[in-house]
Formats: sequence, structure tokens, C-alpha cells
Amino acid sequence: MSRPLTGRLLAAQVAASVGVLVAVVLACCLVGTQPVDIGRVLAGPGPAGSPNLDYEIVVRIRLPRVMLAGVVGMALSCAGAVFQALLRNPLADPYILGISSGAGLGAAVAVMVPGIAAWSLEGVVGPVTCLAFAGALATVGLVSAIGRVAGGGGTTSLLLAGVVVNAFLSAVILFLISVAGGHQLQTTIFWLMGHLNTAALQGGRAIGLAALIVVAGAVVLFRLGPALNVLSFGHSDAQTVGVHVKAVHRTALGVASLVTAVAVSFSGLVGFVGLVVPHAVRLVFGPDHRRLIPLAGLYGAAFLIVADTFARVVVAPAELPVGVVTAMVGGPFFLVLLARYARGRRWGQG
Amino acid sequence: MIEVHGVSFHYPGQEVLRQITFNVPAGRFLAVAGPNGSGKTTLVRLLGGLLKPSAGRIVIDGAAMGSYNARTLAQKIAVVRQDMIPSFAYTVYETVMMGRTCHFGPLGFETEQDRQLVLAAMRETEVEAFGSRRLTQISGGERQRVYLARALAQDTPIMLLDEPTSFLDLRHRVRFFDLLRRLQSAQGKTIVAITHDLNLAAQYCDEMLLLGGPGRSEHGPVGEVFRAERIEACFGVKVIQGRLGGVDVVLPVGTKPS
Repeated sequence: MSRPLTGRLLAAQVAASVGVLVAVVLACCLVGTQPVDIGRVLAGPGPAGSPNLDYEIVVRIRLPRVMLAGVVGMALSCAGAVFQALLRNPLADPYILGISSGAGLGAAVAVMVPGIAAWSLEGVVGPVTCLAFAGALATVGLVSAIGRVAGGGGTTSLLLAGVVVNAFLSAVILFLISVAGGHQLQTTIFWLMGHLNTAALQGGRAIGLAALIVVAGAVVLFRLGPALNVLSFGHSDAQTVGVHVKAVHRTALGVASLVTAVAVSFSGLVGFVGLVVPHAVRLVFGPDHRRLIPLAGLYGAAFLIVADTFARVVVAPAELPVGVVTAMVGGPFFLVLLARYARGRRWGQG
Repeated sequence: MIEVHGVSFHYPGQEVLRQITFNVPAGRFLAVAGPNGSGKTTLVRLLGGLLKPSAGRIVIDGAAMGSYNARTLAQKIAVVRQDMIPSFAYTVYETVMMGRTCHFGPLGFETEQDRQLVLAAMRETEVEAFGSRRLTQISGGERQRVYLARALAQDTPIMLLDEPTSFLDLRHRVRFFDLLRRLQSAQGKTIVAITHDLNLAAQYCDEMLLLGGPGRSEHGPVGEVFRAERIEACFGVKVIQGRLGGVDVVLPVGTKPS
């Protein structure tokens, strides 16, 4: 990987990765507890009255779920790469500024407070998604405001504010859970574990909207790549090479938080992807953010699609929470990459 | 050309610089020395636009510091940072190329001109042999040259250096100063370097600024400032000055137990 990155090289690598992603999407649509026949799927929906079951399963059930997994995986991986760059901390993940607990609180409130169901965006997304999204964004706003007031916007004060707000909101969630009734309890816990099996219920329009926001966000973050590279050397250093540090910081933080909020509000708390996919891509392709962000997005999407396919088939007819699979499949996979590529490469110290 | 007019700076409750005034004409080499905490790094941060003076003003090439934004200032002044290893292991080439960041095309990629400047800067600083190594895989002295190469690639008339030779051995110190002088004469760079290496700096610089705390600074041609009595006053230690092998040197004198 010592060849310098050029636009042409990046275009070739992105095209190859899109190819991998498309192959993964197609393969995972065909895998499931119910065997399907490709020829019959391609035959179309069938006449009214006698629907083509193979087509219905692949297009109406599996495809929405695979698409949602892709959107969530892309959002979390891109956001993870950006948070790691902004906070100059390899341990950062998309949830580090409290997005997880804010979204979790929103979801818990939507499940437990009677009458909230009416707040949904009619016909597009349900109340849990809406409130989780609002909770996520409100929390990031609160954390960055605290970070700014308490420490002039430095990365340490931002991290500390995130940790404190996270702890506080998690306590509120636990309080709500401890007073909740049986069904509400189960729904909330299930949400917090991360899940993609409500995809078919969300409907194509909601998933399309999420995909639009996430892809647009990824493009904005890609454009910030050169600035994020320089920010790895510190704020003052970035400014002396001509980067408008405050504007870049604000934009990157805002967009990464937005795409994370979208992902979390649809899927709950899917862990591991946002932390490890950026590191895996960095190990293989190097740390340049102009390449890291698009490739992390594409491989993050492919990774979560594969993990979710495992989640729905290995203990069928039951299902595993996808967050369990990401860690159990992703952990060993990452160790293999580490052993293969990490020779002579250190993460270095801040 | 750098003009500093009556610049003062204080952090909350702590005065650092008081009424500093000096000029560095284009193509000159200024060495800045002084004890720890005397405001050397603060001065470099002020000149680099990273801090605003509490009073006074700084003028770069005829325009007030405030009239520049990050991008236009980065086309005037490059800063060579102290050694650091970033969280993510970029290659030497990638790091040097970051000096060109504000010249990248609309998609964020370097042009052929950027590439030529980067290769020239890497040749000049003798880092091209390990261009594809990572910053974590080279020595501190090599990294220091990489950061110098990045500043060179920035292609600015002015370079600021904050203790560039503090981690280098004798041989690399001399070569580093040789390189600075070559850049000064061949490319007409204006150079401001903080250094603790008074004897070496005195052989290379045109002018010297001694910072000895608020209200106690000395600036002038190196022959006037690099004097035993001024250095004693600035650092508060006894020194002897002499001429050895045609070179002016000062040596600190320790206090013997009596």
C-alpha cells in the first residue's frame, strides 16, 4: 500500500468495493430459512390472487432488511472513522458522545409513555424511531455545548462531557426499565440490543429516506477527508497548513452525529461496527481519510449485511440480536487482519 | 517581511510578553532564545496566527495579521512543529503532501504541481529514500526532517521553527542548520527559529532575539546580541565567551561547591 493515493486509484478501489457490496447484497437476499429459486424470483410478482412466494420473500422481506443493514453499517462505519479522527482517539466510536444513551432514552420513552404513539411521522417512520432520533441529536447538542462551555471545545472536555452525559442518561434508562411492565420491558431491552428485523415493517419509503441521508452524509464527510488528515496532527497544526479548523470540526461532528442518529433510530444500538470497521480498513488500506471514509462505508455496509444474515439463519426459527453477531463474527475477523497487516505498524501515541 | 509592533500577550493572570518590537526583513534568519517559560513558543504561535496579541500588532508582508484567514496565511507562513507521532500512522509521503492541503483540487486530490513540490521538498531534506515508510517506523531525527519537508512543500516565503533540533544528534543538528541556510540563500526564505542551541544558531543566524521574561528582551544583529553580558542577563547564569577556531562561543559556568 505504498503507492500514493490518486483520484484514479481511489475510483478503482471504490468501484471494486461497490462490486463486493452488490455481490454481498444479492447473496444475502438468497440466503435464509426458506430456500428460494433464483429463476422463480426473476419471474416477477405473479398474477393477482396467486402471488409468487419466492419473489415476495426476497423482495418484500429480505431485501428491505438487507438494505437497512447496509445503510446502518455504512452510517456507523463512516461516523466511527470521523469520530476517531476528530477526537484523535483510536478508541472512539459513533456512540462516544452520548448518542447511544440519548437514542435509547428516546426509544424507552416512546415505548413506555402512553399516548406518544401519535407522534409518529404518519406513514413513514414510527414513534420509537422518531423519538430515538430526536434523543440522539439532542444529546449530541447538549454534549458539545457542555464541552464548549467547560473546556473551550478541546477534545478532552468533549470526551468527558460525553462520558458524563452517557452515564446520566443510562441511569435514567435503567430507572425507566426498572419501573416498566413486562411487555414494555421486553420491547425496550430488545431495542437496546440492536435489531434489524423490523425492516419490513418500516417500509421502503423510510429506508429510502435513511439511505439518502446516510449516503449524502458520507459524501460530505469524504469531502472533508484532506482536512481530517491534517487534524490528526492537532488543531494548531491543521490551521497552519490552511484548514479552517472550527468550521471543519463543526461540520464533521454534525454530519457524523446525524448519520449515527439515523442509524441508531432505525436499528437500536448495534455495537462494534463503528469501532472496528474503520480500523480494519485502515490496517489494509492505510489511514488517508479520502480513502478511509468511502471504503469504511462500503465495507461497513457489507459487514453488517453479512452479520445480520448470520443473525437470522444460525438459530432459525429464532433470531440472534445482530449486535451479538457483529462482535462474535467481527472480533476474530479483526484479529486475523491485525495479525496479517499490523507488522511494523503501530498506532503511535497521541 | 515580518513586523512586530509593541506586541504584548498575557494568559489569564499571567503576563508572558510585554511590548515586543522587532522586524525580520525578507530573506533574513532570526534565532529566538531564552529560558523556559520566557514566551518563545507563545511568540511563534502569535507569528503563526494561532494566538491573538493582547496589545500591539503583527504585520506580514505589508498586511495586518487580522486580514489573513487560515488559507491565505498558510500561503505566507509554514510552521515546523516539534516532534510528535499522530494517532494514525501516515506514510512520510502522505505527511509531506499534507503541506499542500489548501492547494488541492476540488475533489481533494493533489495536482501534478503539488507532486513536484513535494518530491523536491523530500529531495532537499533527504527523506525521499523512506517516503513510503510510516511515521512510526522512522527515528525522531528523520521525523523532524519530514516535518521540515512538509513546511517546504507548503512553498511559503516565511518559515517558523519551534526548537527544530532539540531531538537531533550533533551531526544532524549541523546538517539541519546547513539545510536552513541553504534554503535561506537559495530560495530566499525568511526564517524564524526558536533554539536552545545558542552556539550553533549564532553561527547561522543574521539576527538574534533574546527573551528573558516580560519587559526584558533584546533584539539586534547577532554580533551585538550574542554577548556574554546579555546572555547572562537573559538566562541568569554566568557564562564565559571566547573565540575558538574562528567561532564565537559562550559556555555556561557552573557554581563550584566551596
